Amino acid sequence: MSKIAIISQPDQGVFIDLGGCSSLQEALEHLSSTLQSSNKFWKGSRVILGMGNIALNQAQAAQVLAIAKGVGVFPEEIYSKNEKTRDAFSENSVKASAVKPMNLPKVNLEIPKDQIPEAEAEEGRAAEVTSVSVVELEHETMEESTAELEEKLPESKDGTKEDTATAIQKLPQVLYVKQTLRSGQTVSHKGDLVIVGDVNPGAEIMAEGDITVWGSLRGIAHAGIGGNTEAEIRALNLQPIQIRIAHAIARSPDRKRITYANGTGPETARIFEGKIRITKNKFD
Amino acid sequence: MSGRVIVITSGKGGVGKTTASANIGVALATSGASVALVDMDIGLRNLDILMGLENRVVYNLVDVVEERCKLRQALVKDKKLPNLSLLPAAQTRDKSAVDADQMKALCEELKSMYDFVLVDSPAGIEQGFQNAVAGAEEAIVITTPEMSAVRDADRIIGLLEARKDEIKEYRLVLNRYRPTMVQNNDMMSVDDVLEILSVKLLGVVPEDEEIIVSTNKGEPVSGTDNVRSGLAYRNIAKRIRGEEVPIMDLEVKNPSWMSRIVSFFNPTVRV
Repeated sequence: MSKIAIISQPDQGVFIDLGGCSSLQEALEHLSSTLQSSNKFWKGSRVILGMGNIALNQAQAAQVLAIAKGVGVFPEEIYSKNEKTRDAFSENSVKASAVKPMNLPKVNLEIPKDQIPEAEAEEGRAAEVTSVSVVELEHETMEESTAELEEKLPESKDGTKEDTATAIQKLPQVLYVKQTLRSGQTVSHKGDLVIVGDVNPGAEIMAEGDITVWGSLRGIAHAGIGGNTEAEIRALNLQPIQIRIAHAIARSPDRKRITYANGTGPETARIFEGKIRITKNKFD
Repeated sequence: MSGRVIVITSGKGGVGKTTASANIGVALATSGASVALVDMDIGLRNLDILMGLENRVVYNLVDVVEERCKLRQALVKDKKLPNLSLLPAAQTRDKSAVDADQMKALCEELKSMYDFVLVDSPAGIEQGFQNAVAGAEEAIVITTPEMSAVRDADRIIGLLEARKDEIKEYRLVLNRYRPTMVQNNDMMSVDDVLEILSVKLLGVVPEDEEIIVSTNKGEPVSGTDNVRSGLAYRNIAKRIRGEEVPIMDLEVKNPSWMSRIVSFFNPTVRV
């Protein structure tokens, strides 16, 4: 597991911090896998690169910028503690500064190296999504969702593997976590997030898409990171400390007694008229 | 304005550091001073729960130190007392997320904003403790009348004495005191503890079930009248501000049936 930090706020841009990487090679690998994994998300947003202490010369700086340009990202600003690196980027006509951008909430995206190797990345991920879709398609009672999926995946039932892979690429990635998250644990993901288990107080889960908890959500959940106001948070038992969707925050009411034992039943939180609203899900 | 930075520490865990921090903070703020409570127990944060502010935490101490937000953004205002703020710890990080120099700088900044900066230290004598005492000029050592807690308090006092250039004053709070047990020679008395530790006594807090209720409610007892432990914490706050308040009488008397009835209706009479 390697760690790079991505900090983003809709109106201020995205800060990609490569400062945690030990070498230029590692930094380049992370940058390309991060940008390519969800290039639609990055495109058009104001990007600031953080280079930490890594020392770069002019040619190496140009190499970093070339990777970004390859996926349509044009970094506006560079933050580096190293003077040589700052000069190198200035020579490539990119603004360089020694001060970290402020006021950006941090989102830790942990990218397992084995999950995204350079070349086979797309295929590997597609296979993961396929397995999720197949599960849904098998449920014949869920006619609505099946129809919807078929619309998006015209050949998914009998098409070749490659066709499926390209079609599924349009769907957001889903991360499926089958465990209870305890205090202090975090999960963050660039697509949709499904937790099968509970999310206890003190745990934090973050996703750029929807969050679904098949269990009790009692910690902090942040869906729609990056500004997706359509994102939803749903749980079988929705008793969170805080819910955040895009840049809206809702906190739980101040309660006098702890009443965790009584569940709420399945509920969904979404943004309605600029505020987070919770609605009961009724199935009858 | 230059406030006082006071670290609340104990060495041993579970003796009531966080409870004391919350209650002394509330008591000082009730008396009109501006107070910042700093939770230094990174990774095991509790102070926000005791204060009932857990659901208001957005940024934390580590976000401030790592410059992801401004200090003012991370400070959570108390629900009732506008002159009381909490700087919560991060829950998803550990003690190594900050160092002593960063804490010093943070305490300097808070000192210029508040009359009192109370730093709630984690248990132990490792980096978490070192960070918590880094910016402090005074210390409050909490202990309970048990051999193990007193032993650990003695160790902590030794460490504080070694920092006598920074820590100008340290005083003891004896927590969870049970006068009936002391009378039956089942518990160390105030004098026994002071004999071993030979430190200035800041206060004695009696054992009180109300503490558990208040922790679950998120309302520190020192904000409520008619609670023995709450009164003890209010007296401690007065002594911190320089007032002369006698240590409350904890001796067990054989009360007459009349005074029992009086104390039943007004528990503060006995304390």
